[in-house]
Amino acid sequence: MTDTIELLEAIGSDASLRYASADILNGVLEQTHASAELMTAVAAGNGASLRVELGIQQVPQTPQSPTQLPGQEPDEEEEEEAPQSERCHSDHPSSLSFQ
Amino acid sequence: MTNTILPSLNVPGRGRLACVGLGMTLGSHLTPLARSHIVQADVVFAALSDAIAEEWLKRMHPDVRSLQPYYAEGKPRIKTYREWVALMMAELRTGKRVCGVFYGHPGIFAWSPHKVIEQAHAEGYEAHMEPGISAEDSLYADLGFDPGRYGCQHFEASQLLYCERRIDPAGYLVLWQVGVIGNRSVGRFDAGLAYRALLVERLGQDYPLEHEVIIYRGATLPIERPRIQRITLRELAEVPLTAEETVVLPPAVTLQPNRAMLERLQTLDAREKEGAAA
Ligand SMILES: C[S@@+](CC[C@H](N)C(=O)[O-])C[C@H]1O[C@@H](n2cnc3c(N)ncnc32)[C@H](O)[C@@H]1O
Repeated sequence: MTDTIELLEAIGSDASLRYASADILNGVLEQTHASAELMTAVAAGNGASLRVELGIQQVPQTPQSPTQLPGQEPDEEEEEEAPQSERCHSDHPSSLSFQ
Repeated sequence: MTNTILPSLNVPGRGRLACVGLGMTLGSHLTPLARSHIVQADVVFAALSDAIAEEWLKRMHPDVRSLQPYYAEGKPRIKTYREWVALMMAELRTGKRVCGVFYGHPGIFAWSPHKVIEQAHAEGYEAHMEPGISAEDSLYADLGFDPGRYGCQHFEASQLLYCERRIDPAGYLVLWQVGVIGNRSVGRFDAGLAYRALLVERLGQDYPLEHEVIIYRGATLPIERPRIQRITLRELAEVPLTAEETVVLPPAVTLQPNRAMLERLQTLDAREKEGAAA
């Protein structure tokens, strides 16, 4: 079986494969002995089955950026919640959610 | 592609930091320079939104350390992000070449890459940020609009609630992190919908509630298509949103001529003509 990550990288970097229809792409993948999970993922248009194949249990947190509040450096403050009224005249860290 | 005609330089013993972007789509967006920073690093830290992308990154370097485990239920995100900065700085201070890999562009709606570079510079280390293809870049391509045509404002959604901001409805409005508005730590009681209702109310000051709103999710795997959902501003209050979606409001009003400025320009042009004729 060909390595799934390598196949994903190859699809992602090939102009003819990146936008190929699911049927055509799966036709190509069949010949390379791609995993059944990768072919299911292609047919579904999402990576759910790959998470099973790769043993990924948890969907990771999408890193978020801190909410920027003007007037104060986020790192100058403690981590506790800011009163609502302070969230604007300060870059209060409690409101930070950027990665 | 790796450079094969020149030897790479390696100054040993002096820590060096790079924060690079992996781009949005696995296999499609990583720049040659970002890849080189990854490959040449002694240690790689990863803050990616997709565990499959993390697997891909592990193929490029034997010591990839995920920053994901530093999130915890009830823990303020900013605390997690400060820990990330501290981890990268600690390795840098031991003289290692450290590479922080972030999804998209490492400097767009991202706090820790800017922070760690600032801190590294303050302590005298060489530190760079390498741009990556961000959700912003993908959305111009997938939604087919040019930010230069009518102008385009970008806001972190909750800033519109906390702060007085002027929205220009003649241009595009791009709102980031709408899906996590009102939610400052992982697993915390989610005030999301209540906050979202207020966000819609705030936007209602500048747009009719029937105005089109686009919910956009760019492809992170090369077997995916972008997801583009069109709803009304009113519906934004209730629609399910993930942390991976960006909200776009197209222009609601036409560009208005600036009559006073146009008159002044005419006067200027006329004077120039007179001068040329004299
Ligand atoms: C902390 S920001 C990080 C952005 C990232 N640095 C970049 O360059 O795209 C997180 C926000 O990016 C946007 N985002 C993340 N993944 C996305 C995707 N796949 N499609 C569209 N927007 C996305 C969402 O607005 C999300 O709330």
